[in-house]
Amino acid sequence: MKTIVLLSDARNPVSGRAQLSRLEAQAIGLAADLDETPQGLHVGPGEEGVAAGLGHGLRGLDVVEAPEGEDPLPALAAFLKDALSGDAPPALVLCGRRGEGGLETGLVPYLLAEALGLPILADAVAMRPGEAPGTLVVDQAMAKGARRRITARLPAIVTVHPLSSPPQPFAFGRMRRGDIRRHAAAVCEVPVDVGAGERPHRARPKLMRTAGTASGGANLHVGPEPEEAARLILAYLEENGIRGYGRG
Amino acid sequence: MTAAAFLPWLVVAMLLVAAVQIGRRVRLWRGGKPATVDWFAGLKALPKRYLVDVHHVVDRDKSASRMHVPTAGGLVLACGLLGFGLVPAITASRLYWALVALAFLVMGAGVVLEARRRYPRALPRLSLGLWQRLPVHLGVFAAGGFLTALLAALGNPLPALSFVLFFPAAAAGLALAATTASGPMRHALAGATHLVAHPRPPRFEHQAAKGDTTGLRPLDLEADKLGAETPADFAWNRLLAFDACVQCGRCEAACPAFAAGQPLSPKHLIADLAAASGGGHARPYAGNPYPNERAIGGAAGMHAPIVSPDGIVHPDTLWSCTTCRACVEECPMMIEHVDAIVDLRRYQTLELGALPLKAEEPLANYRGCDEPSGRPLYERTDFAAGLSLPRIVERGEAEVLLWLGQAAYDLRGQRTLKALIQTLNAAGVDFAVLGGQERDCGDLARRLGDEATFQRLATANIEILSRYRFSRILTADPHALHVIRNEYPAFGGSYEVVHHTAFLAELVESGRLAPASLAGRTITYHDPCYLGRYNGEVEAPRALLDALGLERREMARSGKRSMCCGGGGGAPSADIPGDTRIPDIRMVQVKETGAKTVAVACPQCTAMLEGVTGERPEVKDVAELLWEAIEAGRRKPAGAAPTRELQPA
Repeated sequence: MKTIVLLSDARNPVSGRAQLSRLEAQAIGLAADLDETPQGLHVGPGEEGVAAGLGHGLRGLDVVEAPEGEDPLPALAAFLKDALSGDAPPALVLCGRRGEGGLETGLVPYLLAEALGLPILADAVAMRPGEAPGTLVVDQAMAKGARRRITARLPAIVTVHPLSSPPQPFAFGRMRRGDIRRHAAAVCEVPVDVGAGERPHRARPKLMRTAGTASGGANLHVGPEPEEAARLILAYLEENGIRGYGRG
Repeated sequence: MTAAAFLPWLVVAMLLVAAVQIGRRVRLWRGGKPATVDWFAGLKALPKRYLVDVHHVVDRDKSASRMHVPTAGGLVLACGLLGFGLVPAITASRLYWALVALAFLVMGAGVVLEARRRYPRALPRLSLGLWQRLPVHLGVFAAGGFLTALLAALGNPLPALSFVLFFPAAAAGLALAATTASGPMRHALAGATHLVAHPRPPRFEHQAAKGDTTGLRPLDLEADKLGAETPADFAWNRLLAFDACVQCGRCEAACPAFAAGQPLSPKHLIADLAAASGGGHARPYAGNPYPNERAIGGAAGMHAPIVSPDGIVHPDTLWSCTTCRACVEECPMMIEHVDAIVDLRRYQTLELGALPLKAEEPLANYRGCDEPSGRPLYERTDFAAGLSLPRIVERGEAEVLLWLGQAAYDLRGQRTLKALIQTLNAAGVDFAVLGGQERDCGDLARRLGDEATFQRLATANIEILSRYRFSRILTADPHALHVIRNEYPAFGGSYEVVHHTAFLAELVESGRLAPASLAGRTITYHDPCYLGRYNGEVEAPRALLDALGLERREMARSGKRSMCCGGGGGAPSADIPGDTRIPDIRMVQVKETGAKTVAVACPQCTAMLEGVTGERPEVKDVAELLWEAIEAGRRKPAGAAPTRELQPA
């Protein structure tokens, strides 16, 4: 069953570098069970990040070149429409279920299904070919751990749930040997606003007022009298400007 | 015609049999990958490598050297002398036969000593089977040869007896020669060739820095196949090295994974690797099995995968290794076990992605954000909020660049680093850190076989380091020290790297620091593998501890023969289950010294040893002890008794 996995422009939440979304890596794992040569599809400026999909089990990767920040939907729809009407049409298109990059909305699978007129099934955790040819049995994840088994007619778009089996481990050699095919796309005329006021979020640790002095250390008093202890604490607080007498 | 006259021809026949047998192995070696070998230099250095380097290791076990010197010496001498016996005029001399008899006598004496190691019960680390029969073969050969030659020296009074004695000697001699393909005597021929064609010749140059001989070699990431899958993927002189194994089991006795009941024995592994190239399912191995041995298929061959549940080595065996190099340090045949393990791991990781699930996590973090813990690089200096910690980016240069490493993300490691930073400030050292520009050094990735990630990090770190001027890199992490000092030069970054123990010892010696005495406390020092064995630095930390007036007690295994804490080589990430934990074993050794504190010099060792539960000695980094002494010196005038809170709880 010919399967295409859509790869989004995911970013690492820590470093902000382009990377393969874990969910899409899981989708590749599901695809590899159905198709010996699962293929990837990405629309974006390059294959940085998504090329890792080859290391997780993709056999080939189509990259439709599009400028940074461009809406990938028209290019995706055009590529898939071509493929569906071609000699070996894909039976199944797998995608993630949420945006993991700057401008991603998570709506692409739905908009794509609408544009291509394909059925869409959300949150698959397991899949196998149905008994009738051209069908697919999908286990869908529901709330509170419930599962629902659905038989769908192919071709279809299926989004993958994080509870599906973990991705195949990454292998550098497989990525290096993978086949990357680059395609030029017609430039879309709709401008997309990328300058939407981004700023890095950075939780800084609290700075203590005692910069330069070690805690404990010289101020350690073992077993002082209560009065003496209180006096020392007040002196310490005043010394460090935390509490001031007569200074407001 | 006397029986003794046949002895030279027996030696010729033995040599022929041995040549045929070793020839079968040579054909297998030729199936390995090519390697550049300086034959001339190797041959020239052979006598020294054998008589000095090998003997030095053999001699650590006196019973072995006392056994081996007369046995091997007598055997070589007798066979050499008998070579002259091919000249008829010489065999007429009684003196000649007396000399031959003497050589056999020396050999016989050695065989007796060898037999005492094996009978009535062999040392537990020794292999049985063919190895157990070796002294019998050697003994019969030596005794028969001795008596035959003795009779000839006495003028051959009993010709019939001499023939009766000759035949068992001939049978034993030929049986010995027959074991040169896959039996005990292979170690002699393969071992000598291995010394000539050793893959790491700097090991034998004692003036060379220790680190030169221990750093891993870079892997060509453009190669058709990354790492070693089958015996044919090893260089030919690595296959030769596996054949050199003498199954003495010293590696096994030193291996921390073996001691902890994880399924690894270096001796078994090397024997398996040697057997793998021969093919077939038979594994003529008669040593201790892998502890908790995993079931394997046992398929082997020159082009069959070695590491797989169907192959000859189970993956758990491969991932149990802590890369502590104790086996390499103990090996009298100079085999490089760790290189072989890393080559095998590289194939598993880079080509198959078949590494333990838990070890995949740090590698995924490396790919995503350059840090195995998955923490952002800019948080590396957060622990030092409130300390004076200059960033080199603000100044462009510093005398000393402080490499913080992974410890900066770990609460325990941060305590050590704080003590180090405060000490540096107290001594007025001009130092700075890379801060958010410091990526992980890549040690963990490389030991787990992910060479691609390591090379990317090494290149990126070298690019960052090239932007600033500094004279030395200081680090409290021996793993980072080893990687930057010994493994970055292959990628174009050569730096003078100093470990904090050496640097602090320098400061104390030059009088820039005045620590008070911590006398009255007993302490033992645990050598980190990557500092002691990999880099030969065992003096400085001890000098520093002594300068603090501590009563230092040594563990039975210390210095270059120290035992691993279990934290290296990605072993904690792979987490292969065993019977016990390696740090627990080490902590028992610490307790045996009676010391109240164990001094460490590596964040991995700190974490592993602090993970030991129950009542145990306190784990303190050398830097923490020094800072304690400095603080004590500030509070009290010199000579005063140490304050109460300094005493161990």
